[in-house]
Amino acid sequence: MGFDRTMETRGDIVTLDTGSAADSPSAVNLHRRIEGRLAYATDQQELPGLLHGAILRSAHPHARIIRVDSARAWGMPGVQGVVTAADVPGLNRFGIVVRDQPVLCDDHVRYEGDAIAAVAADTREQARAALEAIEVSYEPLPVISDVTMAEQQAAIHDTNGSNLLARETLLRGDVDDAFARCAAIVEHQYQTPRQMHAFMETEGGVAIPDGQGGLVFRVGCQSGHRDAQQLADILGLAPDQVAVEAVATGGAFGGKDELTIQPVAGVLALQTGRPVMIHLDRFESCRAGMKRHPVSVKITTGCDAGGRLLGHRVEAVLDTGAYASLGPAVLANYLDHATAPLYRIEAYRVSGRLVYTNNGVCGAFRGFGGNQATFAVESQLDALAQKLGIAPTALRRINLRSPGEPGSRSQTVRWTAPPADVLAEAAASPLWSARHAGAGRWLTGTGMAMGAQGNGLGDDLPDSGGGQISLSPAGRIRVAFGFSDFGQNIAEAITCSVCDGLGCQEDDVEVVLGHSRGPDSGPTSASRSSVLMHGVLTSLLPRWKAMVCHQAARLTGYPEDGLEPGPGGLFLNNHQVLSYRELAESSDPDCMVAEASQDFPVAPGHEQPVGRYLQLQIATVARVAVDRLSGRVRVTDLHHVTAAGRVIYPPGYLGQIEGAAVMGLGMTLTEDLPTRDGRYVADNLDQYLIPVFHDAPRQRVDVLDNTPKDDPFPVRGVGELGIEAVAPAITAAIEAATGIRVRQLPVDPGDLLMALSAQEQDL
Amino acid sequence: MRPESPRQAVSFAKRFRAPYMAGGTWLQPVWERDRCWPGRLVMLNPGWPGFRGVDENSEGLTVGALTTLDELARHPLTDPYLPPLKGLMNHVAGPGVRHLGTVGGNLLAGGDLLALALALNATVDLVGGKGVNSESLAEWIREPSPGDLLRSVTVPDCQGWPVAVEKLGHRERFSPTRATVACAHDGRQVRLAVCGEGGAGRLVVTEAMLRDQGVPGLKDLATVAGSELQALGWRDARLRLAVRRILSFLLEEVNRGV
Repeated sequence: MGFDRTMETRGDIVTLDTGSAADSPSAVNLHRRIEGRLAYATDQQELPGLLHGAILRSAHPHARIIRVDSARAWGMPGVQGVVTAADVPGLNRFGIVVRDQPVLCDDHVRYEGDAIAAVAADTREQARAALEAIEVSYEPLPVISDVTMAEQQAAIHDTNGSNLLARETLLRGDVDDAFARCAAIVEHQYQTPRQMHAFMETEGGVAIPDGQGGLVFRVGCQSGHRDAQQLADILGLAPDQVAVEAVATGGAFGGKDELTIQPVAGVLALQTGRPVMIHLDRFESCRAGMKRHPVSVKITTGCDAGGRLLGHRVEAVLDTGAYASLGPAVLANYLDHATAPLYRIEAYRVSGRLVYTNNGVCGAFRGFGGNQATFAVESQLDALAQKLGIAPTALRRINLRSPGEPGSRSQTVRWTAPPADVLAEAAASPLWSARHAGAGRWLTGTGMAMGAQGNGLGDDLPDSGGGQISLSPAGRIRVAFGFSDFGQNIAEAITCSVCDGLGCQEDDVEVVLGHSRGPDSGPTSASRSSVLMHGVLTSLLPRWKAMVCHQAARLTGYPEDGLEPGPGGLFLNNHQVLSYRELAESSDPDCMVAEASQDFPVAPGHEQPVGRYLQLQIATVARVAVDRLSGRVRVTDLHHVTAAGRVIYPPGYLGQIEGAAVMGLGMTLTEDLPTRDGRYVADNLDQYLIPVFHDAPRQRVDVLDNTPKDDPFPVRGVGELGIEAVAPAITAAIEAATGIRVRQLPVDPGDLLMALSAQEQDL
Repeated sequence: MRPESPRQAVSFAKRFRAPYMAGGTWLQPVWERDRCWPGRLVMLNPGWPGFRGVDENSEGLTVGALTTLDELARHPLTDPYLPPLKGLMNHVAGPGVRHLGTVGGNLLAGGDLLALALALNATVDLVGGKGVNSESLAEWIREPSPGDLLRSVTVPDCQGWPVAVEKLGHRERFSPTRATVACAHDGRQVRLAVCGEGGAGRLVVTEAMLRDQGVPGLKDLATVAGSELQALGWRDARLRLAVRRILSFLLEEVNRGV
């Protein structure tokens, strides 16, 4: 699998090599994806009888619907179907945690992306043209757009007494007493932006009647099984009448965790009896799609004269927009991270409120609330270190947890390396010794931050998953999981693991993903796939190996215990005696099927997770250059020290850390989608600016792994780890360069320039 | 509509109130955003004489309006006449847009080239109802005559002039300009121009102060340039501060080259 070619080893720590990763034979799909040659669900334009759907979105961020008249749309050219709320056969609501979002709005619209009606026509253009013929009468309602005032305003959901969707507080010890004993206390307000996923492939897919009253969905999504359950309820179908195939997906990052176009496509497909494809364009994706929760938080943190953290108080408000989606779980994860999982704090009171507004919809996004909290917590530590007059690394060293210590929620924690070792590696980064310019146009500086990221769905959520292995009729080792592949290359990670476990070659393995009628592996989220995949394969591979050897022994007459699977087939004394194809052709396929499932690991003594048991760490060192002329920030280098278990697929590991870091860089420097009166101020990627290649810094990814050989959970998921500490590392570097600490993201160059100018005038 | 000549294009545009279309990289996203596509477009033909290519003549360097941004960046005459253009061009849109987008489109959209062209005192050749006429770019953008078709832009022979230009975008590449500032010294005086969020124009008052005072103090420059920018339409004080600082930086650079 080319492990040695892609990693440079220095004792316990290895550096992943970018150049070699791209050349890995497993990276074929990476190249196909980058070159635009990977077929997405919406590329299936040749489906017989295919219709194209279009959705009428609300004209107002908040209004009562008086009347919807779709009669004229039926007469428009090419129109084959028109649906409104009355046509939804089952439950006209969806939502992973709270089913509060209408498929098609009946009496209220609560954000400008709300769907009211939809059309299926022979072409996309005809469908869109027919939307113009649908008349909707509204009674506009006051727009609730200020999250800090929303709880005092009329509830936007009739079922709730107020706009407060959820409130949660985590407590430890006596906070007031702890603060009373502090020698230094810092209190600051932090704000993080509403970030857009900006995936390459906007939301899309096709609903196909199966000829027996049911539907098959081919879509870009993150959880085929969960989606199938929700869709059956919406469509009034039995669960076995709905199948979801999560085909190759052009990025998701949490933005396709919730249902997107599936419900409306399904309703149209049932009405017309024909396949219906819906593919949002970028404008519609911006307007209707999920976003990251903006968070406003006040944090007070204090320590004694020796730097030991004593008190920590957090009061956060998260704007969830019009519907809940995964908001309550995001709030829970935010608060978990706000307890500062890496550090010992004697007492804390960490509370948060999740509030409905008419500002779009927020839900899952890589980091899942955790990185927003880490930005504030790490910034607090830097402020405290400054107040004490000690180095930020010194303050962290004093407070970092040790392996074996309980976590911030008093739960058992399984780290893959001591946090102090991660800090030590980051403190030794060559970026610290780079020369810092003190004069001239560019001000340069280096800063660092740490972050912890847990694997698994988290607090109180049931979490399990399974997989299957079999031999295909063509003689390939078919490995099936319910996960979706949206660019994280889980298929390649599975292939590498199977090759390592069976000694076969990559061409022998065929990975099948994302079929709701296949094994249920649970959602592709929460950095959980790699953990489950490894656990399930650890159970499956020895059993399947025994099955195959048993069958091969029967066919060849060789002793079963002398046979071994290898490249291309079965071997005896290093000589191939049977190919996998020959084995498949001569065998009943059912005799070589193995299945396994497992619960996601939880801390011993707990039935459901509290906080996170499997914890990862990252320390990110950032080097920046700040333009004294304009206040613009250029991130020149990011050095990540990661402790996230064993690397089974280096290109995937590297891609996740680097990709997530650039996403975090975007959130820190340019990305935000504010609203004005409930409407987004940007509507396309020419106004909402994500980083481009020239914004991406040099990056180095180091891996520190002390998991013992017999560790039951040596492989962890790294999909979110890379974003965790980027923002506070960059703002720490900006402070090192300029003396100015930025606490509101994205960094506003104009504000930074004004502060620089004021500072110069003070000199 | 595909007119046979520039005169016919002007006539079509006036008669049908139809916009001209060259590379389309600016107009297309605007129409897409508004979901409002014009019923008719007047397609411009790069094969019309004088509309495409780069030509050295007695006036200086003439660039056809339908010359693509990429062609201009790669042309062998660009370097001697406009040394800072190559660096600037890296910051103008992305490669795909530079292959389609034209010099004329960039100037009309208030793009990055406008500040440089203004600082170089460029003139434009326009095809109107009555034929071709020339006028200064600065005057034309102040009061463009509706329907006039831009044929070419000419910069004087500026070989050897110290010229500096700086773009401030939202990110490193592929960003609309927030502010592009250009500074040139023609051997006698400094010329300053700006384009971006606050509008485009020559900073003539600041130029006059520089002419009168030589090298002014930073405070004077900030006051005068700040007021002039504000009058031009630059309302964001933070952006004005950035432009003033960039101006000061470019002035130093240009003065070093004098």
